Amino acid sequence: MTLPESPLGAELRVIGVRLPAADAFRLNEMGIRPGTLAHVTQHAAFGGRVISVAGSRYALDGGTAALIDVEPVQRLG
Amino acid sequence: MSCHGPASTPVHGRCGSATLAPLSAPLRVLLVGGPNVGKSTLFNALTGARQHTTNAPGTTVELATGTWRTGGQRTADPATERVIVDLPGSYSLLARSSDEQVTADAVRELAGSIVDVGGQPGVVVVVLDATALTRSLYLLAQVAETGVPLVVALTMVDLASKATDSPTSPMEPGALAAALATSLGVPVLPVNTRNRGAGGLRLADAVDAIAEHPMRVTGIDPPAPVPDLVQELAHAETLFAWVEHVVEQVTSCLRPEPGSATGVISGRRLRRTFSDRVDTVLLNPWAGVPAFLAVVWLLFELTSRFAAPLQAFIGHLVNGPLASALTWALGLVGLADSWVQGLLVDGLLVGVGTVLTFLPVMAVMFAALGLLEDSGYLARAAFVADRAMRSLGLDGRALLPLIVGFGCNLPALAATRTLPHARQRLLTGLLIPLTSCSARLTVYVLLAGTFFPQHAGTVIFGMYLASVMLVFGGGLLLRRTAFRDVHAEPLILVLPPYQRPHLRTLGMSVRLRVGAFVTGAGKIIVGTMLVVWVLMALPVAGQHAVGHVPVADSLYGRAASGIAPVLAPAGFGNDHASAALITGFVAKEVVVGSFAQSYAVAKPGDAARPGSLGEQLRASFDESSGGHGGAAALAFMVFVLAYTPCVAALAEQRHLFGWRPMVSALGAQLAGAWLLAALVFQVGSRL
Repeated sequence: MTLPESPLGAELRVIGVRLPAADAFRLNEMGIRPGTLAHVTQHAAFGGRVISVAGSRYALDGGTAALIDVEPVQRLG
Repeated sequence: MSCHGPASTPVHGRCGSATLAPLSAPLRVLLVGGPNVGKSTLFNALTGARQHTTNAPGTTVELATGTWRTGGQRTADPATERVIVDLPGSYSLLARSSDEQVTADAVRELAGSIVDVGGQPGVVVVVLDATALTRSLYLLAQVAETGVPLVVALTMVDLASKATDSPTSPMEPGALAAALATSLGVPVLPVNTRNRGAGGLRLADAVDAIAEHPMRVTGIDPPAPVPDLVQELAHAETLFAWVEHVVEQVTSCLRPEPGSATGVISGRRLRRTFSDRVDTVLLNPWAGVPAFLAVVWLLFELTSRFAAPLQAFIGHLVNGPLASALTWALGLVGLADSWVQGLLVDGLLVGVGTVLTFLPVMAVMFAALGLLEDSGYLARAAFVADRAMRSLGLDGRALLPLIVGFGCNLPALAATRTLPHARQRLLTGLLIPLTSCSARLTVYVLLAGTFFPQHAGTVIFGMYLASVMLVFGGGLLLRRTAFRDVHAEPLILVLPPYQRPHLRTLGMSVRLRVGAFVTGAGKIIVGTMLVVWVLMALPVAGQHAVGHVPVADSLYGRAASGIAPVLAPAGFGNDHASAALITGFVAKEVVVGSFAQSYAVAKPGDAARPGSLGEQLRASFDESSGGHGGAAALAFMVFVLAYTPCVAALAEQRHLFGWRPMVSALGAQLAGAWLLAALVFQVGSRL
């Protein structure tokens, strides 16, 4: 699923970024890359999302969020 | 690994091969860090008022340079001084904007300079955000790869100590700094950016020590050149791995239980912070936009209503008691009624008065922007307004100055500094003059009331609508021509936690920025006022003494007559209109006064009185338009909307962007205004 499809507060793992290479690279540099764990902390207008990654909050516009593939993190026990 | 090395004591690891310059050369310190890490606040705390701003060579990127003075022991001089440069905030040395390029170039230039024999000594202070270690460490790794000696300043430690969901928090600031210093092998100093005494002196000592004994960051070696993006990506992966390794080490020191490192906080529930709770309102899909508009409305009110009485007070003070006092003093030395009195009172003093009247509005704008930025809301504003600005390829933050421009263009131009990219700042700065400032409203009210008394409100509303269309039309045109490189990028914005702004730092920032306005734009404003006075004081007809010339017989009046035929296709090719437009260059507020003066009408506000300004305007516009006064008046309003707002705005454009963009914008505004006005008249007169 994509980021905008994820429920508020859910713990997610980034599994892919389908942005153009240069944009995806910048996202990686900022700390969001495949394997990164994140929580969605806010749904904003026009599909925008705020996510929490390692304590930081990142705001992503709707178009960008829709190109980030995530999966829910399965908790053990 | 020991986790408790002294954070403030340089750890003597492997030394680099940097060659030291003579100790008499000033130590150059570059402040490098991501946006919103407290870098500029640290710079202000370290330099105080000993700083100035210039544009980086060949760019419109602003660089603040200052003197960092302490009683350090690097030289025998007790007042050790360092030249410190606050570089633009950057996430990476692989630049994606001209601002980031300036930072990358400065770091690499310093690295090259240090290697040269006899080069200027230098140190980079990498500002590390304790609440966002992963992101900050990546930039640190890139800086370390260049081989420059570096020291780490750890900011946001107060926030990190209270944070609940970062891999290294909550923790004690000293413990985090010590763990980082041990892992990195370079000094790490926690600093409180709001208090010069907290960490500044220790940072200075560490900088001096590292300048003499450079050390390399553990685990980072200079890389081989990478020719393309694929190899850059591959190389970046090694840096990402290094970052994760460092965070793992630091986390292990602070929290020895397994599985708690690197942002991989699997199994942890999200703990909503205070900022998260505020954002549920301010970023809410329904409440976010109204909240943003409320903030903009407040800014608008502050820069217009709140500042207006102060402006009026200064205006009255300068034009009343000060002008009288200067006239009296000149009379004492026998210069009463001389051209010297005219030059000093009507030229110089009026120019200085104009600059002074703008000070309240500029101070209010700088203070308001500082509050928004320091509090953390400005980043939210960019997010909320992103959609509206995307069509112009601009950051959401551009909406804020564009709306403020409807109050006054000058503080709106100043507000472009909040945009992160130089090209976006320039594009926004070129569009702001198209926003219809309140001074232009006085012209609309006079002409709409005179020519369309039954529909004056609709006409004035139409002018504001035309202004919005001009901004978007102009923006789209510029994006397809001179700004093809500006395009909407994915919005990936770090939202800083909300903080209480620090008023002392804010006050100093406002003082410095207002000072920069006075010395930058102020000189041009005063110079232009003097030129206008000279034009009005020099007679070209009749027998008049210099400084005592009726407008019609002055060089200014002659210029107005010369320009009038050029305006004929727009229907207002008469001396009165052209003189008013020339005066309008100084300020739009004086256009109505200029009409009144040229018609020798005593009460310009009384437009309904027979023989009044309104009557005479109608007569001359009807005459110059062949009986289509209404169309000519509309065309005149469009011209007033589209051409240069005022000399102060021009001066601020020159101050922010340089001469070439300012002159190009001036030419484009005049040509565009003429074309639009002619179009409006030619179409309107045929309806």
